Amino acid sequence: MTDRVVIVGGGIAGVSTAAALRAGGFDGDLTLVDADEFPYDRPPLSKEFLAGAKGVEQLALQPQQWYDDQRVRLINRAVVTALRPGDGAVELMDGRLVHADRVVLATGGSAARPPIPGIDGGDGDGDRVHVLRTADDADRLRPSLVPGARVLVVGAGLIGAEVASTAVRLGCEVVLVDPVATPLAAALGPDLASWLHALHVRHGITAVQTTVESFVDRPAGIEAGFSGVAAPRLFDAVVLGVGMVPRTELAQTARLETDRGIVVDERQVTSNPAVLAVGDLARTRRDGVLLRRTEHWEAAQHDGARAAAGLLGAQPPAPSAPWFWTDRHGRHIEATGHMDAAARTVVRGRIDDPSFSVFGLRDGHVVAAASVDDPSAVRAARRMIDRRTPVDAARLADPAVNLRALLRG
Amino acid sequence: MNKGIRVAALDDIPQGEGLAVDRTITGTDDDIALLRDTDDTVYALDDTCTHEDASLADGWVEDGYVECPLHSSRFCLKNGEVQGLPATKNACPHRVEVRDGEVYLFPGEAP
Repeated sequence: MTDRVVIVGGGIAGVSTAAALRAGGFDGDLTLVDADEFPYDRPPLSKEFLAGAKGVEQLALQPQQWYDDQRVRLINRAVVTALRPGDGAVELMDGRLVHADRVVLATGGSAARPPIPGIDGGDGDGDRVHVLRTADDADRLRPSLVPGARVLVVGAGLIGAEVASTAVRLGCEVVLVDPVATPLAAALGPDLASWLHALHVRHGITAVQTTVESFVDRPAGIEAGFSGVAAPRLFDAVVLGVGMVPRTELAQTARLETDRGIVVDERQVTSNPAVLAVGDLARTRRDGVLLRRTEHWEAAQHDGARAAAGLLGAQPPAPSAPWFWTDRHGRHIEATGHMDAAARTVVRGRIDDPSFSVFGLRDGHVVAAASVDDPSAVRAARRMIDRRTPVDAARLADPAVNLRALLRG
Repeated sequence: MNKGIRVAALDDIPQGEGLAVDRTITGTDDDIALLRDTDDTVYALDDTCTHEDASLADGWVEDGYVECPLHSSRFCLKNGEVQGLPATKNACPHRVEVRDGEVYLFPGEAP
């Protein structure tokens, strides 16, 4: 019998777990421990929030009233320093114990900092090197993004590309480096991914395929040295967007199984049955195989729903193809499924049309799709994947054919 | 007796899709989305998603819900109730009637 649940971490995974527990009828004590003032949404951090168009209070995942209405005790500005499964409790930084029958870990990760010489500032203050995981990170970076500022973005994945887009719109001179020629090709397919990467250049960003080998603090800026032919350059600010490191320390100290993430089963339960893990830090083992961690917003939300269902002894929600979005240079991109599993791709419309999409196919079925300013194409594709709807590639490629009609078969 | 505003023909709204009616016609603060469900029932909600600036008329309509085209928050077609994050506020519903293949809207009236 579960009477008391404590959730550690107030991102989308933690808040979704709390919401799903109450929606599923959980009537016991529910506590959410969050490091910040209140749980807030992360996707805007690289976009509207970084640009200064939104304040942090506008990012609140739930209004304050919600915590009262749902009887969620929010312990804010608090960090859990130890799990005490033997005592049925977690310990806070100030030594306080919060008792619980079940603990849900949802603390996500921290930004990766590659071991580049000089990355921590040398004898300078190191203030010019930034990462972006939290509202505080964005607040620190924002004053550097002034017109004419020289900004280096390292990594052209989702966060790096979004920061580069925001910075160039604010008038910065942006250099975006990535070691691969076509970032996101595995997720979006090579055609759409190369169009998307070229969009940076069309908006005035200098995109270079290279890696940073050194940073040196100079009076006039931070000098970045690159591998290959690119000459060293001076920048006013550097933003690292090279991935995250899951926060597994609490789990490791409590001797839970970890492997570049906290290992969980399909109900998000760790190697200790009293402890669950959800969101970016959880790594699922299915049929004996460790899957890759997913770091997407909706995946974290679904983790929360699965964890809650497991705790309540309810049927977990039906799985669905993975889905994510990214916004850059005023374009809305969505993707679903596993593009790297596709045997072939078809383009619906034409690359560079105001809106278009790409479908990945295998054995007469859709396995993935990606769209530019055509979210309905991805919503249709996602249902085709989930329902295993057989499709005709030629009709899929024809923008005149209604996708909802194709979905109905 | 108020007969509503004739705003569209039913055939103007494909099944599973929506059509935005401009606020200059509805006289409301926001445009109103006409949303035709997969069972062909037509509903009306304030068009702008309560989360960010997106038109629910461009959303995915299916089985009693509309999914926002930006971040996939879902709203109940009947009463506008939000089903999940990132939106946290309900969408405002309006009464709508279909008579002889014509869609009549009653802006500001509860369904």
